[in-house]
Amino acid sequence: MTTRRVLITGVSGPLGARLATRLAADPGVEHVVGIDTRRPPAPLADRITFVEADLTAGELAPILQVAAPHVVIHHDITQFPEPGRSRRHLHDLNVIGTLQVLAACSELPGLRQLVVRSAAAIYGSAPDAPAFFTEDLARSATLRTRFQRDIAELERLVAAFARRHPAVVCTTLRLQPVIGTTLDSPIMSLFRSPVVPTFLGFDPRLQLLLDEDALGAIVAAVNVPVRGPVNVAADGTVSLARMLRRLGKRALPIAAPVYAPTVRALARAGVVPPIDDDVVSYLRHGRGVDTTRMRAELRFVPTRTTVEAIDAVAARLRGEREGTAAA
Amino acid sequence: MIGLGPLNDLRRALDLTARRLRGDYDEDEWGFDPEFAAAAEPLLSFLYDRWWRVTATGAEHVPREGRALLVANHAGVLPWDAAMMATALRRGGIARGGGRVRFLVLDWAFGLPWVAPAIRRAGGVPASPYNALRLLRQDHLVMVFPEGSKGVGKPWSERYRLQRFGRGGFVELALRTGAPIVPVAVVGSEEIYPKLGEIPGLARLLGAPYFPITPTFPLLGPFGAIPLPSRWRIAFGEPIDLSALGPEAADDRATVLEVAEEVRERIQSMVYDNLIERQGAFR
Repeated sequence: MTTRRVLITGVSGPLGARLATRLAADPGVEHVVGIDTRRPPAPLADRITFVEADLTAGELAPILQVAAPHVVIHHDITQFPEPGRSRRHLHDLNVIGTLQVLAACSELPGLRQLVVRSAAAIYGSAPDAPAFFTEDLARSATLRTRFQRDIAELERLVAAFARRHPAVVCTTLRLQPVIGTTLDSPIMSLFRSPVVPTFLGFDPRLQLLLDEDALGAIVAAVNVPVRGPVNVAADGTVSLARMLRRLGKRALPIAAPVYAPTVRALARAGVVPPIDDDVVSYLRHGRGVDTTRMRAELRFVPTRTTVEAIDAVAARLRGEREGTAAA
Repeated sequence: MIGLGPLNDLRRALDLTARRLRGDYDEDEWGFDPEFAAAAEPLLSFLYDRWWRVTATGAEHVPREGRALLVANHAGVLPWDAAMMATALRRGGIARGGGRVRFLVLDWAFGLPWVAPAIRRAGGVPASPYNALRLLRQDHLVMVFPEGSKGVGKPWSERYRLQRFGRGGFVELALRTGAPIVPVAVVGSEEIYPKLGEIPGLARLLGAPYFPITPTFPLLGPFGAIPLPSRWRIAFGEPIDLSALGPEAADDRATVLEVAEEVRERIQSMVYDNLIERQGAFR
């Protein structure tokens, strides 16, 4: 395999940094360039070329010209506010950021591959939804939440880019919610909170993805070029009730009509973690995706099933707690 | 030895409860919970033997192995008919629990609190061609009710008159997957909630497909959900093998509609035969 130069956006986030580390160690990768507004963790900074840049500011083209990557991984797509990234900026980051990345990519003659980290949230969550969304069903999904609209919009931009640049293989990975101890997402806050607000009388099917497998899927997409959207998720689903029982958490059932205001009030009081609007319908109706393409074309098989991923994260969290208690 | 039996039973029950509370049990990717389904069996047996006094015929027509599409007439939102068909197949030795039998349920039922998770754990799946296709490819016995929401809201005077079978989507599924179609007539299920009238405004307000008025609902509130004890007959007909037509025929509208109409007529005549055999609804 020829050695390649890889450029990663959002390299300083918890998953981005691990992705860069993994690719830097890959013999098929000659060099890794990382872009972010935040500084990467120290050990990573020595192994890659880090460029501090804002994707939304339109300063990417010269950076990409110099880096001349063969593969661009657009990983800087954010569902939830993080330190230094407020809620107001998420739409800009997701949609304008993607627009700028694509504009810069269109001027790279040596570009062979574009991998975009998208999300299965594009399908939404509804009682009448298919139990396993296939990739072609994104078109018929009703766009209800902010992040779902962001994802749909940026995927349209990527699809248009792919049509105009047939020489570049564009892969869109639609990841189910990723869980891991280093992540700070609403799903993970459920893992950390002793009490979890649930919908009274509902028990959604959830399908998750362990952080290591999320990285594995992105690396697979770098090594096996596949065109178009690919769902990425662990095997099997788990009901929220069963997940909470395995985690040893108490469920706090709240009637659907008063769910959102009650959770907001309880979150202000510090009883439960705040639950993003994007997650509310997910916690009521859940979501599953079909992973035939992932297995057959991307030739990627996650190492853990949904239940195994939950157990693995739960064990690590227990380890962390005991570690801090001992220290 | 006296006393040990019950003690062991108690211990087993406690173990089971503790294990379930730890979340240490199985669910498949559809959310089917084998232990829940097994726990529901005594209730279903009571309904089958005592409440509805079901007589089932022709269970041997259902393939013992592999996929098949069971197509039946339908009334009511709650899938009692599917539950009784599954019980009949279990009694007939066709499907001994284990989740081989799955049934499609009108989406609306999946919007109902408590009902939605219970149906799912018992093997119900939201009615969608994608779900049916996946289930058939996994070699399940899939029960479908092509009358859909038109069947659900049938008035008492229209009972056992089969509504149009939609656009024949179930035929497409059978053609694509090579699954045989087994026509099933269920007699009795259309008398358990006699719909005398409805309140369309309230239905719209609740987002329900219809809001029925029955002799017991909404008069008795939640007790109105208790089905009337009609006498039931379930007849499984001879399977219809469409594999000779090939999967391409699924795109041929004329063929699909023709087969759908044929199946509808078969079920309709089976329903009439069994109505005559039954000699009275509540005897």
